[in-house]
Amino acid sequence: MPRAPLPEFSSSVKLKYVKLGYQYLVNNFVTLLLIPVMAAVYLELVRMGPEEIMGLWRSLRLDLIQILCSFFVIIFAATVYLTSRPQPVYLVDYACFKPPTTCRVPFSTFMEHTRLISSDEKSVRFQMRILERSGLGEETCLPPANHYIPPRPTMEASRAETQLVIFSAIDDLVRKTGLRPKDIDILVVNCSLFSPTPSLSAMIINKYKLRSNVRSFNLSGMGCSAGLISVDLARDLLQVHRSSNALVVSTEIITPNFYAGNQRSMLLPNCLFRMGAAAILLSNRRRDARRAKYRLVHVVRTHKGADDRAYRCVYQEEDAEGHSGISLSKDLMAIAGEALKSNITTIGPLVLPMSEQLLFFLTLVGRKLINPKWKPYIPDFKLAFEHFCIHAGGRAVIDELQKNLELSAEHVEASRMTLHRFGNTSSSSLWYELNYIESKGRMRRGDRVWQIGFGSGFKCNSAVWKCLRTVKTPVDGPWSDCIDRYPVDIPEIVRL
Amino acid sequence: MGVEQEKTVIYDHRISTVVPATVTGNAVLHELTNMDLIMKLHYLRAVYYFNQSEITDGITIADLKNPMFLWLNICYPMAGRIRRAESGRPLIKCNDCGLRIIEARCRRTLGEWLDVESSSSSRWRLLVPDKVLGPDLQFSPMVYMQFTRFKCGGMAIGYSWAHVLGDPMSATNCINLWGELFSGNPPPKTLQLNNHQKKAESAATHVKVSPKPIPVNQVELIGDGWLAPNTRKMATNSFRITETKLKKMQPEQLKQVPTFVIISAMIWKCLAKIRKSRESKMATICRYLTLAKCSKILNNMLKTSTVRLDSSAANFGLLELATLICKQEADESKSVEELVDIENGKPDFVLYGANLTFVDMEGINLYGLELKGQKPVQVDYSIDGVGDEGAVLVLQGPQRTNETSSNQERLVMVILPEDEIQQLCELLSSEFGIAQDLKINHKLSVTNM
Repeated sequence: MPRAPLPEFSSSVKLKYVKLGYQYLVNNFVTLLLIPVMAAVYLELVRMGPEEIMGLWRSLRLDLIQILCSFFVIIFAATVYLTSRPQPVYLVDYACFKPPTTCRVPFSTFMEHTRLISSDEKSVRFQMRILERSGLGEETCLPPANHYIPPRPTMEASRAETQLVIFSAIDDLVRKTGLRPKDIDILVVNCSLFSPTPSLSAMIINKYKLRSNVRSFNLSGMGCSAGLISVDLARDLLQVHRSSNALVVSTEIITPNFYAGNQRSMLLPNCLFRMGAAAILLSNRRRDARRAKYRLVHVVRTHKGADDRAYRCVYQEEDAEGHSGISLSKDLMAIAGEALKSNITTIGPLVLPMSEQLLFFLTLVGRKLINPKWKPYIPDFKLAFEHFCIHAGGRAVIDELQKNLELSAEHVEASRMTLHRFGNTSSSSLWYELNYIESKGRMRRGDRVWQIGFGSGFKCNSAVWKCLRTVKTPVDGPWSDCIDRYPVDIPEIVRL
Repeated sequence: MGVEQEKTVIYDHRISTVVPATVTGNAVLHELTNMDLIMKLHYLRAVYYFNQSEITDGITIADLKNPMFLWLNICYPMAGRIRRAESGRPLIKCNDCGLRIIEARCRRTLGEWLDVESSSSSRWRLLVPDKVLGPDLQFSPMVYMQFTRFKCGGMAIGYSWAHVLGDPMSATNCINLWGELFSGNPPPKTLQLNNHQKKAESAATHVKVSPKPIPVNQVELIGDGWLAPNTRKMATNSFRITETKLKKMQPEQLKQVPTFVIISAMIWKCLAKIRKSRESKMATICRYLTLAKCSKILNNMLKTSTVRLDSSAANFGLLELATLICKQEADESKSVEELVDIENGKPDFVLYGANLTFVDMEGINLYGLELKGQKPVQVDYSIDGVGDEGAVLVLQGPQRTNETSSNQERLVMVILPEDEIQQLCELLSSEFGIAQDLKINHKLSVTNM
């Protein structure tokens, strides 16, 4: 008789209290153990009396040298400990690019353009079906070059888009934090599909006149999860360089990547990708700790590229007619699920409370030794995090993760609403989602945020942040003029 | 100049779309009145010419497009598309689909362009898109704009407007509003949009069985394209009537006869001579109501009236004919509106050109399109979809600094079968001394009123 899985019993009130009691017991186990020990020691001391304690002390026969040596040993150990601790990385503030209304693309316009550009009736209908079920809204934006019939992806237009999105985001960040460009020590830029010479990081250095010894890095080709890879790189650099700050810029440039062909597996990016960028200021300086919004707790990166199926899952290639596009394979969701499982297996022990880890461990042991038919225990990540930012790659991704992690509608609201208002802005979408949560006034001091990004490779990257100060509304950002309209109800299928 | 060369004189076409800045809303519909549906087979084509100046030199395509987003917020039905209700009646779904914008360049200078002489001078044709609604009604933009840069730096703005959306008064007011926004002026607060349920107002539910209504022709459309076919090839030409000529034609006893009527009479006489036995002895007069009379931006408020003559117009003297026209105008507007069935918007009609039509566009502020204070140096205006009898448009001429409005010159645009135009030119110059509108004074400085 297979044992019924635990979640089904939670409907019963009695078991709910049992579960709560169990969690409290296990999570505070050490404290609970210490209390009787301390009580015993205290009672013993009280019983012994002051003269007996002094007698105990003198019997140790300590002289000056021994005391000094032990002192030095203690100080030495403390110094080694303090200096070998990892530098805390603070997120001082971040800014997201707000697309102007002159770049807006309503559904009807997108469909009309598709019909005029594409000669293939079937692919036009296919794109219409994708758009209807995409979860995007009527306010997403494409760069000016994509408003032409057919789109005109010149180098100049790509650079113009880059300058528009990146410089707006950085100008916003400078305004919010008072950052002086000459103070930037580390610069990390990630943009997967546009990589001119000189690089985008050089473009920023040129525009803002950064110092000549700035450490700049430009990551390209790393997909939609590259934002967290940049944060990871910045964190590692901040361990090596004391008292520094790092500017991380995450974006995706749409202009050069319009797919002009008709192959179905390559049409999705046209329908879903939109303009966006984010600029983030990280720092390991002590004085920034006072004004920083978040502290970086963990970054966990999982790469499934060793598996051929995962490697070819998101693949840029030319179709039969010679048009270059990014082909998405049919098992994208399955591979994403596997990558996620891998990632949470690593991150679980770092963030989950002991109660969940114990249950998971016991279920694992039980499945291996007692009965393989037991359902695997899905740890409740809602106990570890208050907020979730799931990469808004598409409606399917968000649905899948909501199901896998057993999240409520409110937990995934930030992701869904970002997809609706801004579309899939690739690596910067996590920051738009974080801004949504702040704009709604839900971010409190002590809250923990989990950012999950997926990208080509196939990669699943996570970052965990802890909020250091409550964020007050109204928040100056891309949501400032429309947050009151959200959340909106997004229908399953939008009739065009 | 060979035909091939003509086609490539305008080159480097780039097509894009402009949409409203904010979401209009879910399922916002703009109902079409009966008058709108009667006019649906006509299209207004206007070209505004701007001289090269410091202002035009500094204009980029982004400068031209940016004010349009706010403009379309105000006039959002322009960005919609035609749909049919369940009964089959067309209406406009305001789905923010947008206007089509075309950028192009011209190998000639503006001066050379305006100097072009040819008998079927449709110099404006290449500067404004000649698209019509359909066959894919759902995906046909109603308004197009073309920005053509001349070699010298001058610019032509081509403006194509589907008559179903509104009359020339509405069209011109809309583009003048864009000019205001372009120049940085805030939009006027008093503008309202026409969002009514006019369907309920038409009380008559059945078509009156009466002798064939006069100002319109019923047509059968082939397929779903909203353009009535002509049996004869139509062409356009324009004539300039200076103030001195006007004064000559209007002696003391006819001071109260409007200039428009005199010009109409003149052209009617000439056409009667040309057409001889084919002449139908009937004409339609079209006027538009000014904005003051109706506070809404987009509508078709035409006053149509007919004039019937006992004998050919050629038999009357000019002044006699003019007086006759004034006396005999019979207002047909109401009966025209009642022709359209409320339910399905059928049948399809042609108004301009069903009879010889004289259109009074004097009150339309064509030169009110100002780009940061610079007015157009010339405006060409025409209507597509005109029937075989032809149409004559009487427009304002270019304004000059020391003129009062009543004495300025007139521009007459004729849309007639091709073979009649040459004869008309000859007759007008021989009998009345009216020359074709060819030479334009390049030294016309930028007028700022």
